[in-house]
Amino acid sequence: MNENAIEKNIRKPKRGFGFYSRIYRKILVQDLKSKMSYRADFVISTFGMIMTNVAGFITFLILFHNFPTINGWDYHHMLFLYGFSLIALTPVQCFFDNNWNLRFMVQSGDFIKYCFRPINVFFYFISEVFDVKGLGQLAFGIGTLVYAWSHIGIPVTALAILKLVVFLLTASLFMIAIMNAAAATCFWIQGSGYVMVIMFRFKDFAKYPASIFSGIFRILFTFVIPIAFVAYYPSLSILEAGDVPMLTWCAPALGVLFFYLSYKFWMLGVRKYDFTGS
Amino acid sequence: MENAITMKNICKDFKVLKRHEGLKGSIRDLFSRDYQTISAVKDVSLEIGKGEIIGYLGPNGAGKSTTIKMMTGVLEPTSGEIIVNGRVPYKDRTANSEHIGVVFGQRSQLWWSLPLIESFKLLRDIYMVPKKEYESMIELYRSLVDIEPILHKPVRQMSLGQRTLSDILAAFLHNPDIVFLDEPTIGLDVAMKAKIRDLIRGLNQEKGTTVILTTHDMGDVDALCRRIVIIDKGQKIYDNDIDHLKTYFGSYRTLRMRLSDDTWEERVIDETKEDVMDVILKKQKEQKIKDIQLQEISTEEVIKKIYAGEEAEPSSENAPAPEAN
Repeated sequence: MNENAIEKNIRKPKRGFGFYSRIYRKILVQDLKSKMSYRADFVISTFGMIMTNVAGFITFLILFHNFPTINGWDYHHMLFLYGFSLIALTPVQCFFDNNWNLRFMVQSGDFIKYCFRPINVFFYFISEVFDVKGLGQLAFGIGTLVYAWSHIGIPVTALAILKLVVFLLTASLFMIAIMNAAAATCFWIQGSGYVMVIMFRFKDFAKYPASIFSGIFRILFTFVIPIAFVAYYPSLSILEAGDVPMLTWCAPALGVLFFYLSYKFWMLGVRKYDFTGS
Repeated sequence: MENAITMKNICKDFKVLKRHEGLKGSIRDLFSRDYQTISAVKDVSLEIGKGEIIGYLGPNGAGKSTTIKMMTGVLEPTSGEIIVNGRVPYKDRTANSEHIGVVFGQRSQLWWSLPLIESFKLLRDIYMVPKKEYESMIELYRSLVDIEPILHKPVRQMSLGQRTLSDILAAFLHNPDIVFLDEPTIGLDVAMKAKIRDLIRGLNQEKGTTVILTTHDMGDVDALCRRIVIIDKGQKIYDNDIDHLKTYFGSYRTLRMRLSDDTWEERVIDETKEDVMDVILKKQKEQKIKDIQLQEISTEEVIKKIYAGEEAEPSSENAPAPEAN
């Protein structure tokens, strides 16, 4: 190996967390700048997102008009769960939206371009798209949560806030994991679009207490497709004063585990995929 | 001198599921383990020296992309040995990709919504290019091509030519040892093609970058490459100087005749079988000929003949060209 090559090898430090967060921040800032320049697009898509949420909220109100309590959960507790799930669904919408494009990229062969750079393929792919529409949902979710919180009368302590942040992050990890895994199926099967749509529809179940499900569905939505962790179990940490179920305390660790497994599954797909689509 | 790329007896097979027709067939496919092996690359050996510009040619589906994908570390060969910049690419894709640049057809690798200069800055960070080297590279770009009009333009607003130009510049930005260019001039007008070719030649000379150029455009080959490699049906069928190629069909001439209606008629003539004068006389009887041109066979015609599987025998009347290194 010549001197030049050795020199090149020496000057490259390892690409760690700091490196990736710096790159991500720069992409994000640039992307936001360019999005702002398309103002009409920005306004319309934000408006659309708010309308979708309003429609969802009205459905919720009508439902509650007919059933004052669901499985022992009253209006304000249900509202808390609703707001919690909206916030928890924001990261998957804002930061992991490119997963929806994965199958088109894979089928057309365009996906190969992500394999030519000396950075993590998953990071490179996911970092490419930041979806601002999710921010409207975030605002809506925060409003709902604050309203419900004040009506239930949970004392606002530092510990409660800390719990809220930790368990919101946990909840979003589960949804991200579900969508990662659903998107990655495109490396193996043709009709992966349906898998993604179905998984994304499941998020609607997150708004209801998992205790309404029984038997096989409860197990399915807890351990196989962990929808119950997107709002129900994490929110119990705040709503339940005394008897918080064991699964709630396990949620943060399980969230990291599910995310890690989905990431590994995604990367396995990349390795397995033979790039014949060109 | 150490090679940039060494390939020894490289083979690549793909397993493809046998598809059956009809609904019944689709259901069978669901459970079927009935794979068919297709060899995309068969026993290819290749040595590419540092600083060369190689024209890598072959008809569609010949195995060009598969070879490039093995060189870039995206695919692992089924058998054989491959060394790129002293590394086995598929074993360490990340380390390999630090020292290569890739432009894959018309698929832009830049950030679609960002101005070019921001894409450059991101690439500088990703490849950890020191500030001084980055700046001198931008200076070099300025001296080779007028980059001002595109530097602050988002990639999505660019014309195809500007985008190709940007992609090539981006591929050279981290001063890689090897750059792979796949059909860099496809779909471009004549002026833009010339600009792109000048740029590639300039960068190759200034930086000593090895360039692997895949193309169907013989103009690219004639303008840039001294050596060409032709692959067909997964096998290497030619690997030598471009001038040597012409001696393969040395007895062939391209005859162009301007007819009475001012159109040019072009014919490839094998002098061992036909006499040029006979052809002209015969045509003269049918139609008035205003002008004639007799040319050496063009690279394009030679390649066409090789693809068509015509016997490629170096003709005896020309001195054999020296073997390529």
